[in-house]
Amino acid sequence: MLIELKDINKTYDNGQPLHVLKGIDLTIGRGEFVSIMGASGSGKSTLLNILGILDNYDTGEYRLDGRLIKDLGERQAAEYRNRMIGFVFQSFNLIGFKTAVENVELPLYYQGVPRRRRREMAMEYLDKLGLADWATHFPNEMSGGQKQRTAIARALITHPQIILADEPTGALDSQTSVEVMQLLHRLNQEEGITIIVVTHESGVANETDKIIHIKDGVIGAIEENHDHNASPFGAGGLMK
Amino acid sequence: MRLDRDTFREILDSILRNRSRSFLTGFGVFWGIFMLMLLIGGGQGLKELLEKNFEGFAQNTCIVYPEPTTKPWRGFQKGRTWALDYEDIDRIKARVDELDVVTPILSFWGKTAEYGANTYSSGSLKGVRADYDHIESPKLYYGRYIDEMDVIQERKVCVIGRKVYNQLFPEGGDPCGKYIRVDGLHYQVIGVDYNEGNLSINGQASETVTVPITLLQRAYNHGRTVDLICFTAREGITMSGVIPKVREAIAVGHYIDPTDEESINMINTQLIFGIVDNLFRGIKFLIWLIGLGTLLAGAVGVSNIMMVSVRERTTEIGIRRAIGATPRMILGQIVAESIVLTLAAGLMGIVISVLILAGVEAGMTSDGILKAAFQVPFGTAVAAALLLTVLGVLAGLAPSLRAMSIKPVDAMRDE
Repeated sequence: MLIELKDINKTYDNGQPLHVLKGIDLTIGRGEFVSIMGASGSGKSTLLNILGILDNYDTGEYRLDGRLIKDLGERQAAEYRNRMIGFVFQSFNLIGFKTAVENVELPLYYQGVPRRRRREMAMEYLDKLGLADWATHFPNEMSGGQKQRTAIARALITHPQIILADEPTGALDSQTSVEVMQLLHRLNQEEGITIIVVTHESGVANETDKIIHIKDGVIGAIEENHDHNASPFGAGGLMK
Repeated sequence: MRLDRDTFREILDSILRNRSRSFLTGFGVFWGIFMLMLLIGGGQGLKELLEKNFEGFAQNTCIVYPEPTTKPWRGFQKGRTWALDYEDIDRIKARVDELDVVTPILSFWGKTAEYGANTYSSGSLKGVRADYDHIESPKLYYGRYIDEMDVIQERKVCVIGRKVYNQLFPEGGDPCGKYIRVDGLHYQVIGVDYNEGNLSINGQASETVTVPITLLQRAYNHGRTVDLICFTAREGITMSGVIPKVREAIAVGHYIDPTDEESINMINTQLIFGIVDNLFRGIKFLIWLIGLGTLLAGAVGVSNIMMVSVRERTTEIGIRRAIGATPRMILGQIVAESIVLTLAAGLMGIVISVLILAGVEAGMTSDGILKAAFQVPFGTAVAAALLLTVLGVLAGLAPSLRAMSIKPVDAMRDE
């Protein structure tokens, strides 16, 4: 199993303690295409942060590719994030003063890859996602879909084992949402990358092979969805 | 953090692609350095301009001149007039070891110098010995000063001051060898003195025609008497301690009460220079006070902008951390950016202020002689730039550390 969570608990303490995750047990295998679904406040984002080593958990065990991820130092966490995990965010989170290709190559900069090699690889990935013509454009010159594809290219460039997508379609219209989900699906099929999508839209979740419902900090149900008809909203690629 | 071309490119990109932010930060630094350099340079120039007044004047000089006696002595009543003469010089030299130069002056006021149709009126005619240049050192633009042989042979030669020279020789050029006339006597010009000091004995150097004292005594029937005697103390001797001995030496020869301070009158320039020195010290203190104040204001400005800029960059920092930058890498980059930016701006401030000061200096130069140096010492400029850089970096570091404590996710949500 690529990801193993055992009885994960997380409490935020802002004034009064807020028990967000109340004992999460979850395993996700290599090559799965999974969505984590839940209403806002259900703890799904917290779970994603813990999966992405962006946040710590209080008790339990999280193993990523067999390695225990607990109380890592900043350097170690940064290293794992860089090598094993690719992030895709709702608000794209591209750096505004860098062009598309520079944004894509940034993770490689932190790996110490030489400039020319970096540039080549970044161009290769942009080309793969159909953005070769937009390589020298700044984020504010691109459409939402193009920005999200750039962000996906940035997530892919380090050959991560997992892509964590936090509401990847949240800021996109229905047409581009479909395109982005299809792109993630293709990456999962063709490259065998494990993809975890966090969403509150059932139509988006319907595109994935497995839907994990999370409610009030516990996992409610795990739904196998290989024929993609779990939600009536998701029929025919309709999402919104 | 690696320090290679790649890192440098990254730093430069960050600076150049955020122009307004970089400009504002840089401008704070630039202005701080610029004002400080102008102040220091300007203060320096001001000080030199003031010092110009005392230029060439030996700072440990004392001048003695006779006044009617105010105390009866050995049968003489008070109110008796007397005069200094050559014997006094020998007596002073013989009795007071602490003195260096003892030299007389004989002078006449309101003399008119003539050269052809050109005249210079109300100048002074001053007779000196060759060693008078220890008291008021001449700044010779042409020729030479009075020498021993001029004095011994009573040569009819003269050194003229700058104003006299400008009036008599308006077309300029070397006047040496030409003859000017004072009171019907012709003197050959042997030198031009450009000393601009306002502190001088019996007439400013620029308005004076200086001739050998022996010649003047003979020409004006002065016998062996002189107007004043100037003397300087040796290195490390305090003049006020020597003055009573000098007074006693003079008193013996003229039957005057050695305690008659009003009769054997002394002007001790060491006291005057002490006052002036204190004034300079005050000015210098004021300059540094204002300068450091400006520097501090610059540093506060820089830190303010740094704080705003780091807050603005919280999202960027979050993104960078999410895709694998360690906190140390990010801190390193922010610090490196501050250093590059403040150094570039600081150097620009130094260069521009130095250019302005150079312009001021060019305006203060006449006849190829610089009146006062307005330039800033190199070391001071570099120290100020480094100080401001360090302050800027420290100022940027604190908010960066705070930004680092925010979780990447929260940082990115903060849009």
